[in-house]
Amino acid sequence: MTMNRRAFLGTTAAATAALGTPMILKAQPAEYIIGASLPLTGPFATAGQLVAPAFTMAQKLFNDEGGVAGTPIRFVTEDSGYIPQNSLANYQRALASHGNNLVGYMADSTGAMKLMAPELKGANARIMGSTSFASELADPATHPYQYVSGPSYQSQFDILLENIKAEGGTTVAFIYSNTEFGRDPIAHGRATAERLGLKVVLEEVTKPQGADIPTHVTKLAQSGAEYCILQGYVTGVWPQLIGGARQFGLPTKFRGTFWGMEKIIADRITEQAGPFLAGYEGVMPYRYFWDQADAPRYQTYAKYAGEMFAGTPLEKYLSTWTLQTMCGLEIAFKTLRDTAEAGHELTADNLAETLAGISDWDTGGFFGGPISMVNNAIGTGRVYAYDPESGLFNPTSDWLSV
Amino acid sequence: MGQFLQFAINGLMSGAIYALIAVGIVSVYKATKVVNFAHGYLIMFGAYFYFTFAVIVPQAAWAPAWLASWQPDWLVAAKADAPMFSPLGAVLDWVSNLPRIILGISGAVIANALLGRLVERTLMRPLMGQSIFAMIMVTVGLISILSGASSIIWTADAAFVPHIAPNTPVRFSIGDTMIFLFGADLVNMVIALLLFGGIVLWVRYTKSGIAIRATAEDQSTAYSMGISVPKVFSRAWVLACTTGAIAGAILATRNGVSPTLGLFGFSVLAIVLLGGLDSYVGVFIAAMSVGVLEAMTQWKLGGEWAEIVPYVAVLLVLLVRPHGLMGSKEVERI
Repeated sequence: MTMNRRAFLGTTAAATAALGTPMILKAQPAEYIIGASLPLTGPFATAGQLVAPAFTMAQKLFNDEGGVAGTPIRFVTEDSGYIPQNSLANYQRALASHGNNLVGYMADSTGAMKLMAPELKGANARIMGSTSFASELADPATHPYQYVSGPSYQSQFDILLENIKAEGGTTVAFIYSNTEFGRDPIAHGRATAERLGLKVVLEEVTKPQGADIPTHVTKLAQSGAEYCILQGYVTGVWPQLIGGARQFGLPTKFRGTFWGMEKIIADRITEQAGPFLAGYEGVMPYRYFWDQADAPRYQTYAKYAGEMFAGTPLEKYLSTWTLQTMCGLEIAFKTLRDTAEAGHELTADNLAETLAGISDWDTGGFFGGPISMVNNAIGTGRVYAYDPESGLFNPTSDWLSV
Repeated sequence: MGQFLQFAINGLMSGAIYALIAVGIVSVYKATKVVNFAHGYLIMFGAYFYFTFAVIVPQAAWAPAWLASWQPDWLVAAKADAPMFSPLGAVLDWVSNLPRIILGISGAVIANALLGRLVERTLMRPLMGQSIFAMIMVTVGLISILSGASSIIWTADAAFVPHIAPNTPVRFSIGDTMIFLFGADLVNMVIALLLFGGIVLWVRYTKSGIAIRATAEDQSTAYSMGISVPKVFSRAWVLACTTGAIAGAILATRNGVSPTLGLFGFSVLAIVLLGGLDSYVGVFIAAMSVGVLEAMTQWKLGGEWAEIVPYVAVLLVLLVRPHGLMGSKEVERI
């Protein structure tokens, strides 16, 4: 067969188009995907269902702001039932479905993050945020692609114990759920208490749901603890424990960490059982949503939520759980945008480098001031106390860094 | 000794609730030979019905204000004088809630009874005469239906309900040890024990109860003796669901309402197997033993062990007595 000049040029053009188009498409994806697993069913479904709308809002907001260097972003969420294996399967499915367009992932538990960590290698690596504040994740040496959207549980325990010490406390009890999330800061808390001269008089493990409240309260009463830190609960057990202790007439002061600091739960308990959460305090890494005066980003959320969630409870109030997800997504979005604007490819390694380098970032009011990622976590938070009269958690400390 | 008594009483209070849950499983098994794996989820529905009638309905715009919170002048005056968290304050709060508690319990019992009837008529009765295994598998499928339906109707939101009885603290000393008990838990235990005892007496001494026992013995013979076996099936399911409604309401007051309540049924299944699937007395002893064993393990070994030790004990007993403590030896197992 002979090839004339016209045929040669035509064939070359066709071959270039065939081979080049995928490369162009690969370099310029039509959209970037961030996948997510949420506990829409299972023991923490209340939190999962409140968090899910955050993805819709974040997608619209980020795309209105130009996406990632002009490329729109899309969130793909799936139910995990709070089962880590399901989250891993969801992640693997997202990788298979979206390939390199998948640039990040949000997991839904400490267990899921730990299970997925070994999978994040080579072409399967993506940057990954989550609902977890697990201390083990705040270590770029072992978890370079994973980050914590606030202080780790260990840091939250440190804040609480230092606060207890400053109030003149001498004895403390730890009551925690029999979950990864519950156990996470206990050994560290024991060590911190010892360093501060506080005596840990009780370490009590409970079921995460349906705990035997009378038995636990009895043990707390017998321990004589002045303070009790509750860890590893979301919607249940912690209110019943405090209620039980109050009914017994125990003077113990209760403290909690992030997942036990939601106004919706505190209000519901107050409505049904009276004002026994008065004086309950805990660590919150972020401002509450009603504290918008110095938080321009919250004002933007309020505008979007008012339009997108009109007629639903989210129209006026974003829960702490929703804010935590928004913070995680803001970190991912900033990492993606900064990497793209620096002219780098959005590989996991490039993104991890950008993530670790975030410093003096003005989040628009999530925290008390500009923050930096240290060990892939943000070591700042504030102690708040619940007031049943107003239904608000009010700050009792300044912004604390650990 | 005082501490031992404290944890033993706590365990007995939990055990009484286990017994109330278990009575539904035994009743259905005795009448139909079906192990109802969905019983925990029927209890969850009972809890949600209690939530509906004690919280949602009284808060509706059309409901009279006294239903949500009864505030006659004398009660308002008494509450103003009572110190916060005092025993008197707890009783007065309970009195305010009494109208919705009564509505909640009545509504839950009636609605759950209707649910039991519906399940029996639409899912169980068409399978009469078929393999028992098929009917058991239907109860497994029922778990998904009830679990999904509850999420659609009530969402997965956690919610809280008023205590059935005043939750006043009860304190007394034994030796040098102060014993603490919750008033509501004591009343819950009494309710559970009365219901359990009532059902046992009903099955033993009433015509309908004897019909259940006769059907359990041999369905064909019972039929030929003029007993309406379908009616017996129906009664057993309704009985399981009504006791389940009260068990669900009690569980809701202790733990709040959430879809995880359904999982309680599985732990109670182990208790039923320990006691003997067809023995009320055996199941009662098993429920109380597991309750006490859980509390003792929590006291001495801590929470990590409390979820394991009682069930290891169940397994060990079943190795020696495969038919349970007091179950009939000819019982078929699945």
